[in-house]
Amino acid sequence: MSDLAFWAGAVLLVACALAVVTARSLYRAAYALSGALVLTAAFYAGLGSALLASVQVLLYTGGVLTLVVYALVVSRGANEGGPARRPFAAASTAALVFGALASFGRSVPAASPAPPPGGRELGLLLFQRYLVPFELLSVLLLAALVGALMVARLERAP
Amino acid sequence: MTPSRLLVLSFLLFSIGFYGVLARRHLVGLLLSLELMFNAGNLAAVAAAWSYGRASGFLLALFGIAVTVAEVALGLALFLLADRVRRTTTPDDLSLLRR
Amino acid sequence: MFTWACILLGGPLAAFAVLAAAAPLRRTGRPAALLSIAGMGTACVAAVGLAVTWSARPEPAVADVVWAATSRMPAIRFGLLVDGLAVCMALVVSLVALLVQVYSLGYLHDEPKPSLGRYYAWQSLFAFSMLGLVLASSVLQTYVFWELVGLCSFLLIGFWYRRKEAARAALKAFWTTRLGDVGFALGIVVLWGSARTLSWDGLFSAAAGGRLGGMALGLGVTGLFLGAMGKSAQFPLHIWLPDAMEGPTPVSALIHAATMVAAGVFLMVRSAPLLVRVPDLSAAVLAIGCLTAVLGASMALTERDVKRILAFSTVSQLGMMMAAVGAGAPLAAFFHLVTHAAFKALLFLAAGSLIHALGTNDIFAMGRLWRPMRVTAVYFLLGGLALAGVFPFAGFFSKDAVLAEVLHRGHPVAFAVLLATAALTAFYMTRAFVVVFLGTKKAEAHAHESGALLLAPMGVLALGAVVGGALLEGPIARALSGSLGLAPFSEGGEHGLIVPLLATAAALGGILVGWLGYGSRAFDPGRVAAAAGPLTRAITRRFYVDDVAVAAYRGWLALAAAVGWVDRYVVDGVVNGATVAGEAMAQRLRVLQNGKIQDALYAVGLGFLLLVLLALRGLRG
Repeated sequence: MSDLAFWAGAVLLVACALAVVTARSLYRAAYALSGALVLTAAFYAGLGSALLASVQVLLYTGGVLTLVVYALVVSRGANEGGPARRPFAAASTAALVFGALASFGRSVPAASPAPPPGGRELGLLLFQRYLVPFELLSVLLLAALVGALMVARLERAP
Repeated sequence: MTPSRLLVLSFLLFSIGFYGVLARRHLVGLLLSLELMFNAGNLAAVAAAWSYGRASGFLLALFGIAVTVAEVALGLALFLLADRVRRTTTPDDLSLLRR
Repeated sequence: MFTWACILLGGPLAAFAVLAAAAPLRRTGRPAALLSIAGMGTACVAAVGLAVTWSARPEPAVADVVWAATSRMPAIRFGLLVDGLAVCMALVVSLVALLVQVYSLGYLHDEPKPSLGRYYAWQSLFAFSMLGLVLASSVLQTYVFWELVGLCSFLLIGFWYRRKEAARAALKAFWTTRLGDVGFALGIVVLWGSARTLSWDGLFSAAAGGRLGGMALGLGVTGLFLGAMGKSAQFPLHIWLPDAMEGPTPVSALIHAATMVAAGVFLMVRSAPLLVRVPDLSAAVLAIGCLTAVLGASMALTERDVKRILAFSTVSQLGMMMAAVGAGAPLAAFFHLVTHAAFKALLFLAAGSLIHALGTNDIFAMGRLWRPMRVTAVYFLLGGLALAGVFPFAGFFSKDAVLAEVLHRGHPVAFAVLLATAALTAFYMTRAFVVVFLGTKKAEAHAHESGALLLAPMGVLALGAVVGGALLEGPIARALSGSLGLAPFSEGGEHGLIVPLLATAAALGGILVGWLGYGSRAFDPGRVAAAAGPLTRAITRRFYVDDVAVAAYRGWLALAAAVGWVDRYVVDGVVNGATVAGEAMAQRLRVLQNGKIQDALYAVGLGFLLLVLLALRGLRG
């Protein structure tokens, strides 16, 4: 990926992120998040991992955000995000966290010559080395599904 | 684009997301900011994987996406619960402790 | 012999126990009285028996048992000490107590029955306590009975407890003697610490053997003397005795003339072997005794209440006894104690006869009672002459002994003071006698002679007051020679005639002045008193000692109030302040726990930063 693309993408990504955390209207925030997610997918693609990029777009943008928008629609107050809560404290804490992270983890080696893994490589890893986590993940998803159903059901109790 | 730049970008996104988690007055806004933080985490994993030449980082990001989806589902279910039962969308109102 | 001693103690104790336990019996009045008198009579007989068996072998004998065993010190023992001193004192106490109990039956015949029973219960308890004090084999045991006697004094002074003055007087007596008793207790502790024994013979041999000496001995005996000062009304702890006259007159006769107040002198005579080794203290005892003697006599000069006159007289005579002890003459002191018991008790009982007949204590409300109350008058006269020290009555011999010892042991100033006291004594007794029985002004109330119950005991005492001095000097000297720690005494009479002559001159002089002032009215005592204005005022105000005591007491209360304030507001304030501060801090810190997730997340962020810091340190280090 070229430097220009990187910087342009980065700037847009940050802009979207800022919109997510500050937008008054939650719909706007949701859309901004979808933009951020798509841009991230673009970065993944730029690295050469088409699988990751597509999963990102499909699940995150397609799935998660649809749910979010739905939830916003059926609830109240979706348009009044309200003023920030303790803005200075929040901002300074976030800044400190960034500082800590940056000082801690800036020195990583330069890109390795190995190409990023493709779909085949990832698939083999998934079904060989990381089979158990993969199965566990499906259990987790099932649990989440049932849990969400139970939580939603509770609201109908007399 | 270098891994370290990508990493710093992810840190920035993480911090911005953290700000939102701290400062948002609407539950969904909080959830969206949380999403941002997760996304930043995935990005960081990918950047590190790229730097060290290991494929497991990409897998971690994949897993991360899946887990995040589950978490969002439950988070939204709870949000709807709060909205129906407690009749509020503000995290502050969910405190059971005396004022 | 010890059987007699046990009966001696057991009689009154049994009477008291029965009267204390069987309330219905006590409330019957006269039967209760008779029970007590029976116990007392038993004690008298036992005292005689004890004396007889002891004189067969006249030396000290001890019978004691271990009362409290300790692991590191010798055990504390309780028991009986029978020697000449104890036997004499026991005879005096039991006889006078019996006479007083009989007298009380007549004196208190108007008293309601339950009250009378209570009176006799206390009387029996007192007799037991006093006899126990006399026969005690250790100084600690003496102290125990000392306190019991003090309790009885309190109970009997405040017998008519509904009278405020009586209640106050009882408390005053208790607290004043208690003050001395603190010294007594400390003295015991000091002696115990140094001599490692509390029995009298143990202490005497420790002192003789050099184990008990110097500072410890001095402090110990000083402590004992402090106790004696309280009990025997030595200046400045004498203030309770005049007020103690609020009690019934028989009580005043028994306790505050003959026996309890003599206990202090008895203690000093008992501990004479120790006192003689502390010359500084002996000098102090002599000085205090003389001071008490002359001040007591002077305070009697202006009194109108017949009982108070006698009370101040008792203070004065006790001072004389103490002076003798201080001068190193315990025999003379004890001799005077015995004769004083006889004639002072007689005087008090005679005064009681007057009060009973006339309903007043004021001598100026009495007058010309010689004819209507002849017998009482005679008894009063005999007692007065004995007290004044006129030959051949009892007081002459004992006072002479005291004066002679004081002079011939090299204390001319003390001698002069005591001689002056004798003159004053004769004067105020003459004053009392003349005003009450002679004179031109008739008594206000109608007077008649008292009954046999009152007169008979007085008769016995009168006998003692008349012949006791001459007859008892020898036996008492012999008896005391057979007492613990005391050297053999000669039987007196070897100091020449100078002292008896001077003493008689003082007595006759006092009587003469008294007669001139109150009898023939050759001069007006009132004008003399007015002329000596400030002195008269001081005397009438009892030399302001009571005022000092009250001020000290109030000051102490004020100090206590201040301390209480500090405790309540400063000490408690600090504690309460800590509570308040804690609560305030809790309120402030409460906001951290408000149940709001976003506030908790700040803490998460903080924790994360700390972890990063630690990790960075770890990496660099």
